[in-house]
Amino acid sequence: MDLLSNLGMGFSVASSFANLGFCLIGVLLGTLIGVLPGIGATATIAMLLPITFQLEPVSSLIMLAGIYYGAQYGGSTTAILINMPGESSSAVTAIDGYQMARKGRAGTALATAALGSFFAGSVATFLVAIFAPPLTAIALEFGAAEYFSLMVLGLVMSVALAHGTVPKALAMVVLGLLLGIVGTDVYTGTPRFTLGITQFSDGLNFVALAVGVFGIAEILRNLEDEHERQVMTRNINSLFPNRDELRQIIGPVLRGTGVGSILGILPGGGAILASFASYTIEKKLSKHPEEFGHGAIAGVAGPESANNAGAQTSFIPLLTLGIPANPVMALMIGAMIIQGIVPGPSVVTDQPELFWGIIASMWIGNLMLVVLNLPLIGLWVKLLTVPYFVLFPIIMAMCSIGVYSVNSNVYDLFAVAFFGLLGYVLSKLRFEPAPLLLGFVLGPLLEENLRRAMILSRGDPTTFVTRPISAGLLVLALAVLVLVFLPQIRRRREEVFTESEG
Amino acid sequence: MTLTLTRRILLGSALAFGLAGAAAAEFPDRPVTLVIPFAAGGSTDVVGRIVAERMGQELGQQVIVQNVGGAGGSLGAGQVAKADADGYTILMGTVATHALNPLILKQKPYDPVADFAPVSLLVLVPNVLAVNPQLPANTVQELIDLAKTEPLAYASSGNGTPLHLSGELFKAMAGVDITHIPYKGSGPALTDVLGNQVPIIFDNLPSASGHIASGKLRALGVTTAERAPSFPDVPAIGETLPGYETYSWNALFAPAGTPPEAIAKLHDAAVAAMADPAVAARMGEFSATIVASSPEELAEHVKAEMAKWEPVVKDANVSLD
Repeated sequence: MDLLSNLGMGFSVASSFANLGFCLIGVLLGTLIGVLPGIGATATIAMLLPITFQLEPVSSLIMLAGIYYGAQYGGSTTAILINMPGESSSAVTAIDGYQMARKGRAGTALATAALGSFFAGSVATFLVAIFAPPLTAIALEFGAAEYFSLMVLGLVMSVALAHGTVPKALAMVVLGLLLGIVGTDVYTGTPRFTLGITQFSDGLNFVALAVGVFGIAEILRNLEDEHERQVMTRNINSLFPNRDELRQIIGPVLRGTGVGSILGILPGGGAILASFASYTIEKKLSKHPEEFGHGAIAGVAGPESANNAGAQTSFIPLLTLGIPANPVMALMIGAMIIQGIVPGPSVVTDQPELFWGIIASMWIGNLMLVVLNLPLIGLWVKLLTVPYFVLFPIIMAMCSIGVYSVNSNVYDLFAVAFFGLLGYVLSKLRFEPAPLLLGFVLGPLLEENLRRAMILSRGDPTTFVTRPISAGLLVLALAVLVLVFLPQIRRRREEVFTESEG
Repeated sequence: MTLTLTRRILLGSALAFGLAGAAAAEFPDRPVTLVIPFAAGGSTDVVGRIVAERMGQELGQQVIVQNVGGAGGSLGAGQVAKADADGYTILMGTVATHALNPLILKQKPYDPVADFAPVSLLVLVPNVLAVNPQLPANTVQELIDLAKTEPLAYASSGNGTPLHLSGELFKAMAGVDITHIPYKGSGPALTDVLGNQVPIIFDNLPSASGHIASGKLRALGVTTAERAPSFPDVPAIGETLPGYETYSWNALFAPAGTPPEAIAKLHDAAVAAMADPAVAARMGEFSATIVASSPEELAEHVKAEMAKWEPVVKDANVSLD
């Protein structure tokens, strides 16, 4: 078999002593920066790029890839422990993961996240190996109209993220969409809502927004009520999920892996949707949807698996097309060019050791991560017992360094302060920050693709329903909308079910 | 305002510190910061990092790369324009920061001539006109004929970028109308052309070269006056449209008022770096042509580029606030 011999070659490349070492350095660094709130993989990889000059191309890419998926693991740790997501994907983990931590189940949540991520990472790595070329063909079928419809579906699903009332969730989505508009209009070059500040001409920084509305707002809430935090730290009991809990996470992990793998291959922001989509699916399928938002283990297991699967499969467009799915992938392309490798379809055939070596290293890296992280869980959880007057300034300092390091832009720090206050006010008014973040991330993509599709169709809106993939996504969005807005129907159906069971 | 003030205080103290040291040692006695006005990973970033690495060895001090992206390069360039003129902060300027943005922006954050001391024009990077292989056009002439009979669209890395204006210049000289579809960067634009969502693209040759070599894109012409050494079979657009010439370029600038000795040191280090066979080989793989000019030649180059682009920018009616 070609695949087996290729994989064998990959493993022989990846398991050389030096490459194992670089893989370990990568995942260690990744875990570390993931755990430090605000410092993202993008900034770290950018800082390490010059070092990769001296390395073999395979070694440098293995290390950089390790940082990337290591950060995905580490990012969920802060999301669960201190409600501080560093990436859009871990914003969803924060919803139920942090609630679990508050109930003393931080260890269980962390272990669930690690196990789910490992499973999803392993499966997705093999998907990359087997299906990379055919999956690329699917990604290329996605034009502006398809992306628009995908984003519509994502926004409709975001309403289900909220565990409050639907109008409040909608209000947050709209606020997020408006915040996403800030910056230069792609089509006309006109700056919008930048208050005349040039530093905002490329839009608000996602990390600044996320750290503000989740993390800083949470610190303010905790300062207000120190007593509640003590409850949370005293109640830490079991670290690992028991058999019953393991049974609860199998389904969500499997579904999350599937959803994440598929969305990850779309270069236009599909991976962003993975964890949100998985959360929505789990909430819809759950027998106890009311638990979501209050520490449902499925709300951690599903999205964590989805985000890790998406992180792995987002390498598919990079390795087979040379197309970056996100800023980290753009940096990987830079790293390849520095090494004299022209990214593109020819990499698989011209540099098979590189291609298969990276794929094999992903699986090894995932294994290292789970081995590293499971014993560390006890240590992370202990962090919660650090007195708040020590922990809080450290978190603030790390956040500020992290946010500043993305663009060397002081205005990003002002944004953190502003959104921290806004997040605090919103939480007092019982508005959820997660739909706001989703609106913020999807809004610009929605608008860009809507307008691009309209320009390409020369102003004909039927383009969205005459293209089959786009039409299918819109129908799906409509179906979700019906489920969300007609709760009576659902309630009646549930009654029918209980009757038939009884 | 607060920002500038804080920065001035910080830089002021750094300067005082630097001056105290300067009495004892010559420039450079501490690391030099090279500001790259775009996000990490792009072609300017790659050129900058390769050069910075080698220049550091020449200067005996590390050259630290700092990415200050945003506003099409204007933020980073503006930052260097206002930095202390001691040679410790330099800019990797491009055709965007030193010709197009100053012409396009209504509010000008800096003056590309008065605010900078030129150091060296490092490389010229060709752009390329490429199409999806399904488009029935094998030459520039066939594309022009096709554009006259049916509506076409071309993708670029964004509004007001060198690639957008290369496309606008092409339209003006060929007398055709092709709809411009801007993207956020070259990557997503390439994806849509590979998937035939948009049939035509103007792109940097380095970023498109892999797809051209593998046949996923059909290159119709390079935008330089001469053919590119890395693709000798691809004609220059100028062979069909005489006089058509555009390219991207990267050049080092220091803030205006930087001492001539520091400029000379930086210039010599840059020229030595570009003469290194390893650097030359990397630039070659990158389809970039090495120039390594004198400061005076770079000053002339900036003036010539601004004179060349002014009518194009006006005709295309591109302006940004």
